[in-house]
Amino acid sequence: MTFKDKTARFFRRLTIRKGITGVLAYVWLLVMVVIVMTPVLWLVSAAFTDATSLEQVPIIPKISEWSLANYEDLFTYKSTTSQVFPDYVRAFLTTLGIASLNTVLVVIFSSLMGFSFSRYRFKGKKKVLLLMMALQMFPSFMGMLAIFMFFRQFGLLNNPVALTLIYVAGAIPYNTFIVRGFMRNIPKSLDEAAFIDGASNLQTLTKVIIPLAVPIMGFIAVNAFMAPWLDYILPSVVMPQRDTVAIWLFRYMDPRVSTYNPIKFMSGALFLAVPIMLVQIYMQKYLIYGLTSGADKG
Amino acid sequence: MKETESIFGQLLNAGKKVLLFLYKKIILGIFKFFKRIIMGFVNFFINLFKAAKEQPKAFFKGLSSFFLMGLGQLRNKQWYKAIPLFVVIIVFLAIEISTSNYIYALSGEISQFPAEDKLYFFRDYGGFFTKGLWGFITLGKLVLGSVYRGETIVIFDQIFTWKSADNSQVLLGQGVIATVLILMFVITWIFSIKDAFQSHLKIQETGHNETYHEFIKRVWNDFFAYIIIIPSLILIFLFILIPFLFSFLVAFTNWTGRISLGQGLFKWVGFETFKQVFENPDWLKFFGDVLLWTLFYAFMSSVTVYVLGFIQAMIIESKYVIFKKFWRMILILPWAIPGMISLMLFRNVFADNFGLMNQVLAQAGVTDQVKNFLTSIGLVGQQTAGNIIWFNDPLNGSLAKTLIIVVNLWLGYPYFMMLITGVLGTIPESLFEAADIDGATSSQKFRYITFPWVLRATAPVIITTFTFNFNNFGAIYFLSGGGPGYPIDQIPQSVRIIGAAPGQTDILISWIYKLSFQSTVNQYSLASVYSILIFIFIGLSAIYNLSKLKSFWEED
Repeated sequence: MTFKDKTARFFRRLTIRKGITGVLAYVWLLVMVVIVMTPVLWLVSAAFTDATSLEQVPIIPKISEWSLANYEDLFTYKSTTSQVFPDYVRAFLTTLGIASLNTVLVVIFSSLMGFSFSRYRFKGKKKVLLLMMALQMFPSFMGMLAIFMFFRQFGLLNNPVALTLIYVAGAIPYNTFIVRGFMRNIPKSLDEAAFIDGASNLQTLTKVIIPLAVPIMGFIAVNAFMAPWLDYILPSVVMPQRDTVAIWLFRYMDPRVSTYNPIKFMSGALFLAVPIMLVQIYMQKYLIYGLTSGADKG
Repeated sequence: MKETESIFGQLLNAGKKVLLFLYKKIILGIFKFFKRIIMGFVNFFINLFKAAKEQPKAFFKGLSSFFLMGLGQLRNKQWYKAIPLFVVIIVFLAIEISTSNYIYALSGEISQFPAEDKLYFFRDYGGFFTKGLWGFITLGKLVLGSVYRGETIVIFDQIFTWKSADNSQVLLGQGVIATVLILMFVITWIFSIKDAFQSHLKIQETGHNETYHEFIKRVWNDFFAYIIIIPSLILIFLFILIPFLFSFLVAFTNWTGRISLGQGLFKWVGFETFKQVFENPDWLKFFGDVLLWTLFYAFMSSVTVYVLGFIQAMIIESKYVIFKKFWRMILILPWAIPGMISLMLFRNVFADNFGLMNQVLAQAGVTDQVKNFLTSIGLVGQQTAGNIIWFNDPLNGSLAKTLIIVVNLWLGYPYFMMLITGVLGTIPESLFEAADIDGATSSQKFRYITFPWVLRATAPVIITTFTFNFNNFGAIYFLSGGGPGYPIDQIPQSVRIIGAAPGQTDILISWIYKLSFQSTVNQYSLASVYSILIFIFIGLSAIYNLSKLKSFWEED
């Protein structure tokens, strides 16, 4: 149906009572759009000004007065002269490394777990599943105090790889259930056929199951890649001297620290938020899938 | 009115059921646990006796593995099992001996010390495992006196007093690790005994001893399910379970930041800290306040988000609205922006001086009217000139609380909007057609078809959202930072000295974070007690969820 047809049909169906309800619906939607958009526009506006305080930032961005001063500063500022990359780029690269390693490890470990739990019966299976079920409900930073102590003792503070391992351990339980739910729906006759053809367990996994499980692994991979970007609490504890972007951002919003500068926060935040938003919106269609496969098939 | 009652009644019933379920489970569990232990012992000795009588050869092989792990395997001529087991023993002993000072103890050093001196053998001579266990039990010792181990400190010809202490925290950490490693060693040992016994029987039965290749192949095939999950389990063990265990143990000590480690010690105090939390009225008041607010916040932020999401989904999906995709695209925006960024953005929006909200109000010239309105509904406690202070005025606690729920609404509704839009699409058309034939009005259709259908499909998600919000650290920490604090006169002396009072908008988890990581507070044991309470709460809802999930228990 073309746009013209749509509008024509719309007006044909209009009656007075319906008209009032319709107008109310639009008024509501417009109000919601204003509420949703105002802070966002303010963020954009603040990111592209050369103002030094948020008071001078116009609520609706003024295109004629745009300035890239904030971004220039963002990509050139070095806190010590000896470092190769500017602070922000450095934090960005650290986080990128963490996110990439996290993606690889989470996908490998949770696929193996999911495969084992969806295909085999073994002693202790229910107990391990129960443990996973319980663990996925606890935020992994509840043991933070201990993690901090152990890391300090073994010299792992400020080590991004160690931080990544905590993320991986925390992500395994939930993802195990997602993968298990998906793999249960892959017919077992495929495995049996492979077995008859003389495939080993490992070959069944790599040649039969994994190619079929690519969609769910993609879903997990994207989630795992997104997770570390704006996680603040764990890095703030175990990486006191090495920034991730979240720590970098928070430092500009912490009134107790001398770097407090909401304008810089706004520009840095916008730069980070845009790519994340695009991925999120693209991933939207998987959301409901992920929810249901986690919930009913548990 | 009637409906709310029935919902309330349902909740009450559900609560009763959960409690009853738990009660039964716990009593039965304890009973079964003891029964199993006792029966286990009895059966163990019966079996041992039987085995010794009926299969003396196999029994002696098991026995030799009992005396030296791997010896039984060697006697079975299964070197491929014996060698790894021997390696385990050697590594275990090597760690113990290389970190110990036994050699000095043996060389007769001890006898040189005066007899009246205090001397802690394991502390000074033990290796990683023995010292670990010693430290775990004692949490270290304080050395006070002029002579220790026959040594004196002499400065400018004057003998100084020794004052030094172990680092209890390091000892506790090493103790946990040593205990876990020893447990694993013992388990391996038990396995080796069993294996020596059973392998002998198997060789006797089949007359064939497995070769190395056959063994590797069998393990790879039969234990594949275990092999592929072991790496994950090790990670979870190291980075989640051991830290949880450590935090759990800290609750039974009196460790605070005031004890400067290396000079003072912390001790095991049993349930003292629990007593402080539940019996000391000062702490009980704060705990009660924080818990109530946490529950209220978790409940409200789940329900409001759900309701607004529902309304949005209904409106966008209604027949009056065209360009559905366009509206959805814009209204989804708060979901797509990362939570931390939106929360801190709102911190700026509600900032006292330069915040967007105060700017808008001032430009529209309605600051005073809004302030009066907020005062009249009781959100603003005290009139001050100038801008509205959203998050920082101790007398505006309820304003800050309301704002947190409102901001959470902004962040959270799109998720439910999308979810419910999805669910609305699954309602069969035929239901509505049947309702049309019966002459139902659209409100009746909503009440009897749409609402129950959506509620049924999304109920589990509401529960998950509730538990998520219960621990939603970011929503509080990034937005209000827990503030405003309580008015000074409402903070009891004992709490103020420590500086551990929560802010008015602190939920449990953010208070715990402050208690343990704010360097002026560092009340580790208190923080651990509260963590345990959260564990219990989440555990309860986990058990409730489990009891509902049938599919979990079905076998593959």
